[in-house]
Amino acid sequence: MAQDSAAWAENFREATESDPVIQSYAKYYTCDFLFDMEELRVGVSMRDGRVQKIEIDPPPLTPHHFSLHASAETWRKMSQKHPPPFFQGIWAASVREDLRIEGDIKVLMQNLRNFTAQFELLRQTGVPV
Amino acid sequence: MAKISPVTGRYVTFEVDGLEYRVFWCENGHGPPLVCHHTAATHNHQYRHLLEDEDFTSRYRIIAYDMARHGKSDPPRNAEWWKEDYRLTADHFVNFVTAFCDALELEKPIFLGSSFSGCVALHLALRCPERFGAIIPLQAADYAPGWWLDWWRHPHTNAAQVCSSGVWDMMAPMSPDAERWLTLWYHMQGAEVLKGDLYFYSMDHDLRGRLHEIDTDKCPMVMMTGSYDFLTPPAVTQATAEQVAGAEYIEMKNLGHFPMSENYPLFKPYLTQALDIIERKLAASVS
Repeated sequence: MAQDSAAWAENFREATESDPVIQSYAKYYTCDFLFDMEELRVGVSMRDGRVQKIEIDPPPLTPHHFSLHASAETWRKMSQKHPPPFFQGIWAASVREDLRIEGDIKVLMQNLRNFTAQFELLRQTGVPV
Repeated sequence: MAKISPVTGRYVTFEVDGLEYRVFWCENGHGPPLVCHHTAATHNHQYRHLLEDEDFTSRYRIIAYDMARHGKSDPPRNAEWWKEDYRLTADHFVNFVTAFCDALELEKPIFLGSSFSGCVALHLALRCPERFGAIIPLQAADYAPGWWLDWWRHPHTNAAQVCSSGVWDMMAPMSPDAERWLTLWYHMQGAEVLKGDLYFYSMDHDLRGRLHEIDTDKCPMVMMTGSYDFLTPPAVTQATAEQVAGAEYIEMKNLGHFPMSENYPLFKPYLTQALDIIERKLAASVS
């Protein structure tokens, strides 16, 4: 059963801001991105390693630098403690599964180390779909 | 209390295609040489566990080197390499490996290569099987397009972070954190050469339609890949192995693209299995 999205957002914020890997490198981790989970969308704004905002189903035309789109099933698999093969991250799932990465890829690359660590926190928090 | 490793490191200087390289290698053990080549943009520390494993060093002379431009092996000493865009070719890669083996006067070594060096292992088996006792390509495919990317060396990004984060997903999520971070760390150190290494991997390496020419009677081959390797997934490596008559294929469960480094205890039984297969085949060919 999908968890309450507002509670999930708070968990994800707390996990991000208390994660020692991200916080050891947090300075300049600044970007806006969107998780499109098929049944629900999540906008995340990061500023210097802190979560400025997590917005569930942001309105149309809300700007972001890059976005990740996949089926709800893929998001559920990516957020398992031990994801099955090819669901273990954005590279694997975009090459072998249905994850699509769109937008300004350069911003993603500039923030890749922290984003990768933050994305992996989904294995702790799960996803709201 | 201090503990001194039995592994020794030395340098050897030799020429490849007119380029003079000073190459660093580590070794330990006694027996037939087992020459180990790291993955792209890294160095021989990927084999740190194998080099100290007495179950293997009691049977083999384990040799793990840093390819030129990687780790402690510098770019060519007699060329203005900083004025060129580094692009590794299949010809130069093959010539480098064979020249290194000649420099150390190795007689029919077993060659163990992974990822881009797993792919060059296929070239070695095709071009000069008589020079090797056996070939073990890890994480290899007949063709691996799509990874010669500008992102690996883009002036607007931090190449060390892009390269290392890019390979993070290639490891199995259950591999120990400390081993995964070391594997990532090695990629951070070599980020500047990743794009040039992958020129070989994704551009110059293409053995489609050639694999049937490999003669495993001259040189036995065991191919292995990790179940979490999205770059060369089991289906791709298996399809490659099936094109080589007499080649064996093993899927390594719960391992990714860097099995020897990311989770050595899981990798060890697979390597044991591969070497046992090779020993049986070599014994059968002698008898």
